[in-house]
Amino acid sequence: METSLSFVLQAIANGLAMGGLYILVALGLTLILSIMGILQLAHGEIYMIGAYLVYYLTSSLGISLYIAILISMGAMGLIGLVLERGIFRPCKGDFLSVITVAIALTLILRSYAVAQFGLFERTVPKLASGSLVFFGVAVPKDRFVAMLIAAAMSVALYLFLKMTRYGQAMFACAQNPEGARLRGINPDLISPMAMMIGCALAAAGGAIAGSIWMLTPTMGTLPLVKGLIIIVIGGMGSLSGAIVAGIFLGLMDGIIPVFFGPVVTSIAPLVIVVLILLVKPQGLFGHG
Amino acid sequence: MKLLQVQGMNKRFGGLKAVSDLHFDVDKGEIFGLIGPNGAGKSTTLNMIDGSLSMTGGKIFFKGHDISGLSPYKRAGLGIARVFQRDVLFDSFTVLENVLTGLHLNSNLGIKDALMPFSPGTRKKEQDLENKAMELLDFVRLSDRPGMMAVNLPHGDQRSLGLAIAMATNPDLYLLDEPLTGMNAEETSFMMETINKLRDNMGVTIVVVEHNMKAVIGLCDRAAVLDYGVKIAEGTPSEVTADERVIEAYLGTEQDVVSS
Amino acid sequence: MDSKRLLSIFGVLLLIVFSFAIAPFLGNPYWSSVLIMIVINILLTSSLRTIFILDEVSLGQVGFTLIGAYVSALVVMELGLSFWAGLILGGVASAFIAMAVGYPFMKLKGIYFSILTLMTTEILRLIAYSWKPVTGGQYGLTGIPSPNPLTLPGIGEINFSSMNNYYYLALTIVLVCLFIMYIIEKSHLSRKWIAIKDADNLALSVGINVMKYKVLNFTIACFFAGLAGGLFAHYQGLLSAGATGRFGVMTTLNLVIYMVIGGKSKFSGPIIGTIAIMLLMEFARPLDNLRPMLVGAVAIIFVLLLPEGIAGLPVRLKSIGKKYVSGVLR
Ligand SMILES: Nc1ncnc2c1ncn2[C@@H]1O[C@H](COP(=O)(O)OP(=O)(O)OP(=O)(O)O)[C@@H](O)[C@H]1O
Ligand SMILES: [Mg+2]
Repeated sequence: METSLSFVLQAIANGLAMGGLYILVALGLTLILSIMGILQLAHGEIYMIGAYLVYYLTSSLGISLYIAILISMGAMGLIGLVLERGIFRPCKGDFLSVITVAIALTLILRSYAVAQFGLFERTVPKLASGSLVFFGVAVPKDRFVAMLIAAAMSVALYLFLKMTRYGQAMFACAQNPEGARLRGINPDLISPMAMMIGCALAAAGGAIAGSIWMLTPTMGTLPLVKGLIIIVIGGMGSLSGAIVAGIFLGLMDGIIPVFFGPVVTSIAPLVIVVLILLVKPQGLFGHG
Repeated sequence: MKLLQVQGMNKRFGGLKAVSDLHFDVDKGEIFGLIGPNGAGKSTTLNMIDGSLSMTGGKIFFKGHDISGLSPYKRAGLGIARVFQRDVLFDSFTVLENVLTGLHLNSNLGIKDALMPFSPGTRKKEQDLENKAMELLDFVRLSDRPGMMAVNLPHGDQRSLGLAIAMATNPDLYLLDEPLTGMNAEETSFMMETINKLRDNMGVTIVVVEHNMKAVIGLCDRAAVLDYGVKIAEGTPSEVTADERVIEAYLGTEQDVVSS
Repeated sequence: MDSKRLLSIFGVLLLIVFSFAIAPFLGNPYWSSVLIMIVINILLTSSLRTIFILDEVSLGQVGFTLIGAYVSALVVMELGLSFWAGLILGGVASAFIAMAVGYPFMKLKGIYFSILTLMTTEILRLIAYSWKPVTGGQYGLTGIPSPNPLTLPGIGEINFSSMNNYYYLALTIVLVCLFIMYIIEKSHLSRKWIAIKDADNLALSVGINVMKYKVLNFTIACFFAGLAGGLFAHYQGLLSAGATGRFGVMTTLNLVIYMVIGGKSKFSGPIIGTIAIMLLMEFARPLDNLRPMLVGAVAIIFVLLLPEGIAGLPVRLKSIGKKYVSGVLR
């Protein structure tokens, strides 16, 4: 009994930490999707590069982890700006063009990471060391820090969207791009902001993942798939849906492997998504 | 004989009642007008008759058969054709190819023809279809530029092409959504002439949605007036335009009803 | 007009002869294996474009290749059927599954369809990866036999365990498939698809059973994707479904790149694009890990500057030439 309780608690903690990461990725994806109308298939690569940047800053320059994460978020935000201007905006919303440049970006960033850092797994310092004890079960502290960071960033994003002028414009744009345009909101200003915020959040997600687990050049695929799953479950364009779905998915990913194999863990969410797409494509929490 | 019977038709969009308990009948050979202010539910009604929207409630009978649950392509097969409010055409195609596509129901091209598109048999079938299409283009005065891309036609001609595509299905009932909108005087009179000719020469039935009152009076045998999804009047154009409630519904645009 | 047509028929024939003639000149198994993968990918990319006629981007073609590959390998290994039967059954199985899921799948459009197909291909891969009794699980299937020797009158016995001969076989099969696809592209079927792409509501209103034609499109495309899988299985001799392998997400994504660089709106586009990029990958070997970066950069340049791809170059050059000439005249 003892061990199974410990398994479950650790699974929940793991799941919530993963959920936090997924949310960071999915919030960016859904923001970019709803405001710019594009499917950013290279979002996982932004996450990966953000993580490697933190690795470089901490291991080569000796910068402390949290500062490095902030720098990485800023840098990836800037890259987001460049990407929006340089390659996504010129696609003018053409679906296939957007998908193609996103795939091209995936190839470029991934091959850059392989060439620069090699295929070896790398690590960055832990977010926190030691464990917290619940019901006599020790759960690593860094899982909680990860959750806290994800929660803090989600709240910050929420406050930005509700409280600031730009944020409100962006929120309006996300809900209804046509209506926002009619109200004089310029999507050419909002789009780069969405991309910057999305990329910065992804970088934070990557950095946290790198500190809990490992860094590899292909580490971006999983969160991309998870991010897509989340925005389907939560409803495309729904930020609150993304958060609920992210927690749900994280818990599933944490708990299912305790009882079933890794395959069920990977297949179950995909099957759920396919079913949702076929039955209720606007998502479980979507509007409209 | 009643060609089309609409009984208790309802449509809700979330909280909005776009069409409420609508009843009307259209006789064979009749030109029936559906009029009303913007957002009254006219297009929605046509969408439910051609099947592109499902009804929240009610029944539709066509030639005496209940077609309420049928999908649009089956209704087209039964003889209902639609001309859309906005210019909806096959943009990748030329004028001629647009009408050829409209001839789908009258073509007997099968899987064999798909696998042997260059065979003499298939070429012959396609030649026959092309001849038919050219006749239709002639009817709407577009036979002089069959090779032009449809999107490059001026607006008025695009509407005519829309009508030719509908004619290609050889229907018994036409649903025309604002066929005259955005047309200049000459185009308008040609289109009205064409619609009248359709009915007189081919004996078809037409339900037409229109804002232009002069046109309604000039074209329709009878008309129903919708306001906020509710039928507020029905009768001959002169009866309808004289109706208190109709004038009230058009209050903002009284001009429309009285002076034109 | 007609002389132009004759010229292009002549050009195509020349290319076909060239593609048969090239193998012995390169003369080593390595190049033959590159050529085999090129023709298999041409078939796959073309199947992607068949669906793109409807303006939908399937990110799931590799999943259907997987079905074709495993079915074709299994019926040969377990039931002792011939390579040809395996190949056809692989294509049919893939087409059958496409048809079975086609109705709900083809109702979705745009982003929804792309995500759906992407998730589906991952599900299929994970099933293959874990269904140990049938697919060998993570170790995969091994010992898939190459096709039995074929005796042709006048030529004698051809043995397909040689790379070179397998290349001829794959090339022949793919050419036949491409011919069929080309015929379909020129037929009324593809005109229906284009009509549906342009305005599905108008297509419905002229009596076209839109869903039937869309499902048919998906089924045909997946049939060819399945055949590509069978060709792959019997060439490779082993199949495994790891995440970074042949049936992983990246393969599907690469197909999109091939199609766009080659030219998405031309029949020749996927063929040209697949050849160009796969050869680029070969000749850029010295770049090693940076090769995907090169491909990515080329893809972005094409999307931004030459959206009609390589196949659109002649038209593009002509219009530039015209502009230049009129500039000079002015
Ligand atoms: N798909 C839809 N979803 C939600 N509301 C809709 C939808 N289609 C129409 N409506 C609403 O239903 C009402 C009726 O619309 P409809 O297009 O039928 O009006 P109409 O009489 O054709 O007007 P117009 O003269 O402007 O063409 C309007 O309030 C419209 O906003
Ligand atoms: Mg209307």
